Amino acid sequence: MKNILNFLVETGKLKGKARRGWMLHGIKNSETTAEHIFYLAILSWLIGKQKRLNIERVLKLALVHDLCEVYAPDITPYDPLLPKDKKKIAEALKKWPKFTNALRIKKDKMKNHSEDKAISKLVSKLPGNLRSEIKSVWLDFCKGISKEARFVRQADKAVNFLQGIEYWKKYGKIQHKLWNRWIKEIIDDPALIDLIKAIEKKFY
Amino acid sequence: MEEEKRYYLTKEGLEKIKKEYEDLKQIKLAKTKGDVPRVLQSEDLNAEYLAFQEDMGFLDSRITELEHILKNTEIIKNPHKDKQNAIGLGATVLVDVNGQSDEFTIIGTLEANPVLGKISNESPVGRALLGHKIGEEVAVSSPVKTVYKIKKIKYRIG
Repeated sequence: MKNILNFLVETGKLKGKARRGWMLHGIKNSETTAEHIFYLAILSWLIGKQKRLNIERVLKLALVHDLCEVYAPDITPYDPLLPKDKKKIAEALKKWPKFTNALRIKKDKMKNHSEDKAISKLVSKLPGNLRSEIKSVWLDFCKGISKEARFVRQADKAVNFLQGIEYWKKYGKIQHKLWNRWIKEIIDDPALIDLIKAIEKKFY
Repeated sequence: MEEEKRYYLTKEGLEKIKKEYEDLKQIKLAKTKGDVPRVLQSEDLNAEYLAFQEDMGFLDSRITELEHILKNTEIIKNPHKDKQNAIGLGATVLVDVNGQSDEFTIIGTLEANPVLGKISNESPVGRALLGHKIGEEVAVSSPVKTVYKIKKIKYRIG
């Protein structure tokens, strides 16, 4: 039980970890990683049910997908192109981040390596069956192996879009035009495309 | 399971799916007999298979999904030369979007990976671009209008 408690205490840190992307946009008291996981789990449950997916799998995928951030950095789509100067960051966020293919591959590899190391460290003291289950669910999410994982990967982007549009309406600090472009390039799940249309109808 | 769905795969993507299917069947057979699957001891083991070895129910559902994919696959091939001026599956497209250039490949949903510049043909942008030619402007409909000006189209599929 001691190791399970230690795991809980470590993952509990995500309740206080503000998401870096929103901080860069100057959103005060922004959503934490744990709040993002909650939002994703609810969305994935509701829409996953309509799609007749395995909801136990869907919820586990949503709960596990960002656990690595206990130790791994929260990487935004703009990394590593962001300047250090805060004023220049605001300027950089006005444009779509542009990468060469080589840099895209390098960035993806580095992210995977860092997150793999982090999740392995996080689960290392858990009993064997729990350790392998969490690791395998996480691996499924990262690789998009099962249809549930492919759905939750896209739901993760959809819920981020929803949060971004909510912040745009409240604070106006989000480049909503860029977000609109981004979401239409990365989502192809019909139910999530419908959700995006509903978000646009409600907030525009 | 969507019965009518077609899965568009590159030759490489299809080979990967076939290998996964054969390996998972081997894992299932060995586990049914109580053996340690040979594929789990091999050096070229795909880490993904670890995701299935402990969960027979999940292993079964993945095998069923792979069978469905293999039955409904269509290989992406380069179009005939006189049709390579239009965007089709497998096309790598250079576009200008609001003054910024970008390049991506239009691919089937199973191989799409926007982080690596591979956009699904079923995404709103993928759907909108299909069939268009160099010099054309494609507007993606939404409350926010995004216009893609097509600069170049290349086919790199082997």
